[in-house]
Amino acid sequence: MIDGFSHIVLHVTDLDRSEAFYRDVFGLDVIGRDLVADEGRNSLLGTNTRQRVLLVEVPEVVAIRPNSSSIHHAWLLTIDEFERAKDRFAAAGFDINDSRAQFRARGENSVDIFDPDGHRFQVQAYSPAATEVIKENTGPIACGHMDDYAVGAVKAFVKGKFFLVRIEEGFLAVSRWCTHMNGLLSWKQEHWHFYCPMHGAMFNRKGESLPCSRPCPTLRLHPVTIGADGTITVDPDTAIRRDGFDPAQVVPAKAGASSRFPETALC
Amino acid sequence: MADVETLSHSGISVHDLKEAEDFYCGILGAQVHGAVNFVTEDTLKGRSVHQSYTLGDFLFALVLAPDFMPMPPADKLMGVNGFRHAFAVRHADFDATIARLKAAGVPFKGPVGHPDKGPFGESVYFKDPSGNFLELLWRRDENVDYAKAPQLDVG
Ligand code: FES
Repeated sequence: MIDGFSHIVLHVTDLDRSEAFYRDVFGLDVIGRDLVADEGRNSLLGTNTRQRVLLVEVPEVVAIRPNSSSIHHAWLLTIDEFERAKDRFAAAGFDINDSRAQFRARGENSVDIFDPDGHRFQVQAYSPAATEVIKENTGPIACGHMDDYAVGAVKAFVKGKFFLVRIEEGFLAVSRWCTHMNGLLSWKQEHWHFYCPMHGAMFNRKGESLPCSRPCPTLRLHPVTIGADGTITVDPDTAIRRDGFDPAQVVPAKAGASSRFPETALC
Repeated sequence: MADVETLSHSGISVHDLKEAEDFYCGILGAQVHGAVNFVTEDTLKGRSVHQSYTLGDFLFALVLAPDFMPMPPADKLMGVNGFRHAFAVRHADFDATIARLKAAGVPFKGPVGHPDKGPFGESVYFKDPSGNFLELLWRRDENVDYAKAPQLDVG
């Protein structure tokens, strides 16, 4: 039934002031005045898509409904537009630090800007860092002896950012970087899954995306080597992309075993 | 060229997530997109508990209001709360859309015709069950090939 988003209507108390703000600070195009039948004098502005913004002048504005929270609207910018926007925001006296930086995935840029009537906007842009394969150049990480991992164990490594997982068939070193947008996963022991606090993705211990609101590619792996003495080494500087789980990816819990992957899977 | 690509999403507040889901998905045809932070420790850290929906190409995050939000008067179908979201339907589907609102018992105002010189055709105005203002309209520029929003999958 719905063909797409058309426009957002924002009530403002001073049309001239707000039109100038949306044009000069946010960077929208002014299309024209009173092109729309609405409750007051109005100005229509445009983004680079079909979406429009309609500012309507009314005597009084309640920008945020009482007893509500989190009400906001979000502009999406390219990263170049974002850099220019930050300069304009700073020149207009806004704090351009991200107030919720600790909740952002890597490469996710965001600032909060209030318009002259108190309407809250999030201005966001994504840089390529959001989806790049992250490597910390730690070198191989010693993970202890294979007998120290009971079947079912998941150990999180901070250095190298991976989980060493012991399933019945053997070992997997699963990358902790979420395949959605590089959020850092945590292991939820009580739910037996990996969880991304950024946008809620979930994965099982093999790294497969679980039926959830955010289906993602299977988590990347790192090569595992088990020495002649049974000690495990993981190389987080090599990442292995995969289309799904395959038992051949698992390194059996045997001295001398190691991961084997086609050259094309390395990234 | 504007220096803004598009509006990617809005966060709005509702009283009841189930009631909102029935309305947005059942009547308007939205899809559930995500349930975010339904984990106790996230809530304790101050993250908002919300459910998100896609309606056409737009993402709505419906956040539970911490307290009862005053409702606009029942007969007030536009204005008051400062903003309104408008969704386009094809001109050919406009009557069917109005019939659908009627069948669902959603009170609405309109159709209201817009000036010929502007891009909009006719609109109907209504509210979600928590008093958020909405609009459905057809647009005269519905066949213009505008740039598409960059694909974004967050919220
Ligand atoms: S970064 Fe988006 S769900 Fe993980």
